[in-house]
Amino acid sequence: MHISPNTKMSDLVQSDFELLAVLQRLKIPFGFKEKSIQTICREEGIDLNFFLNLARWYHERDFFPGETLMNHPVKWLVKYLRSTHSCYIEYHIPRIEEEIIRMESLDRSGGHNMQLMLKFFREYISEFTAHIQLEEEKIFPYILSLEENFEKETPAPEFLKTARGYTIKDFLDEHSDIEEKLVDLRNILLKYLAPPSDNCLFTNVLIEIFRLGNDLNDHTILEENVLIPQVIKMEKDFHNKFPR
Amino acid sequence: MAKVLIAETSYLVRKGLVSLLEQTDGVTELKAAGHPDTIMQTLKEFSPDIILLNSAIQMPVSHDKLLSLLHDKARFIYIINTPLPQDSPANHISVFDTKNKLTEKLSLHLKQYESTEEKEETEELTPREKLILKHVALGYTNKEIATKLFISTHTVISHRKNITRKLDIKTVSGLTVYSLINGIIKMEDIQ
Ligand SMILES: [Fe+2]
Ligand SMILES: [Fe+2]
Repeated sequence: MHISPNTKMSDLVQSDFELLAVLQRLKIPFGFKEKSIQTICREEGIDLNFFLNLARWYHERDFFPGETLMNHPVKWLVKYLRSTHSCYIEYHIPRIEEEIIRMESLDRSGGHNMQLMLKFFREYISEFTAHIQLEEEKIFPYILSLEENFEKETPAPEFLKTARGYTIKDFLDEHSDIEEKLVDLRNILLKYLAPPSDNCLFTNVLIEIFRLGNDLNDHTILEENVLIPQVIKMEKDFHNKFPR
Repeated sequence: MAKVLIAETSYLVRKGLVSLLEQTDGVTELKAAGHPDTIMQTLKEFSPDIILLNSAIQMPVSHDKLLSLLHDKARFIYIINTPLPQDSPANHISVFDTKNKLTEKLSLHLKQYESTEEKEETEELTPREKLILKHVALGYTNKEIATKLFISTHTVISHRKNITRKLDIKTVSGLTVYSLINGIIKMEDIQ
C-alpha cells in the first residue's frame, strides 16, 4: 500500500500491524476514528514528513532512509530512539527474561541447559543496558547540545570546550553490536537445544527473540546510517560557524 | 541452500532480481540493498553466501576488504550494466540478459554453492576445531591458544572462522554455552 498524508491511520495499521511499533514510539495514542495520518500528526505535533519517511521505510523496506530522514531536526530522531530504548528496557528484555525463567522452571530434563540460557541472557542484559546507558547518558545529550548550541549566536563556553575535544566518530568506532549475542542465543535455542516440556512457550521465546533481533537491526541502522552521519555533518557546520 | 544479497542501485533491476530469485530454488533468505552504506551494513550483519554486486557501485572499501568480511565459501556474481561479450566469465550477468539466461546462470551458481555446502553439512567439527573451541570456551585469547598449541595466530583465526560458520555462533559466550551443552567443557572448568 502506498502511504500518503490522506491515508487513514487505522487503514495503515490494518495493512501492516508491525507499524504499531512506530506509532507507539512516536507516542501516538489510539482511538484513531476516521482520522488521516495528516490530521493525527498535526494533533500530536509530529512532523508529517518525518512520520511518512519512517513509516514508508518500515513498511516498504526498500529505500535507504538516510537521505530523507537526515533532513529533519536531529532531536526528533533522538526522541524516537529514546522511546525505542525504553521499549526494550521496560518491556521486551524483561519479558524474554521472564519467559526463559519459566522455561527453566518447567525443564524436567535434569540438565542445566536452561539455566545456562538464563545465565547467558542475563549477561546479555547487562551488556545491553550498558550500551543503552552510554547512548542515553552521554551520546544523546551531546547530540542535543550540539544542535542547540549550533543554533545560538554564541555557543555556551563549556559546550564549545567539549565540542573541540570530541567527535561523534569516536562513538561510531566503538558502537558495539548489540545483536550478535542475541543471534547466538537464537541459534543455540534453534539448533542445539531440545525444547523443554512446554513447546508453546519455547516457540514463543524464539519468536520474540527473532522480533527483537529485527527491531534492533532497524534501530542500529537508524543510529549508524542516519543519526551519526547527520551529527558528523552538524559537527562540521558547527566548527565552520565557530572556528577556533 | 544459500543466503543471497542483491547489491544494486537501480530500483528496477533490484526489484527484477528479487522477483526472479524468489522463484529460484536454493535461496533461503534474500536481501536487497542499493546504497553502499546499506550494502556494507547488510554484508556484515546478514553474512550472505552469494552476493550479486553491480560492478559500477563504488564501495567504500577495497575488494579484498569486502572478501575478508565474508566467509570462505561466499562468492560474488557481478551485475554488468552493458551487454556481455561472448566469452564473459560465468559469474557475470548483464542487465541485458534474457530471463532464461539469467535463470540458467543463477541456478548454476546456487547449485554449485549447494554442492560445496552439502559436503560441509554432514561434516561436524574436526577434532582440531573441537580442541580450538575448547580453548576459546575456556577463555583463552587467540594468541594464547596459538602459543599453547604451537600454531600461528593466523591458523587459530581461520579455525575460529570455520567453527563460527559451522555452528552459527559468533560470540565467545555463545561458544562457551555451546561447549557446555555438548560436553566439550564442564561447568567446573569455568568456575
Ligand atoms: Fe540505541
Ligand atoms: Fe546503539
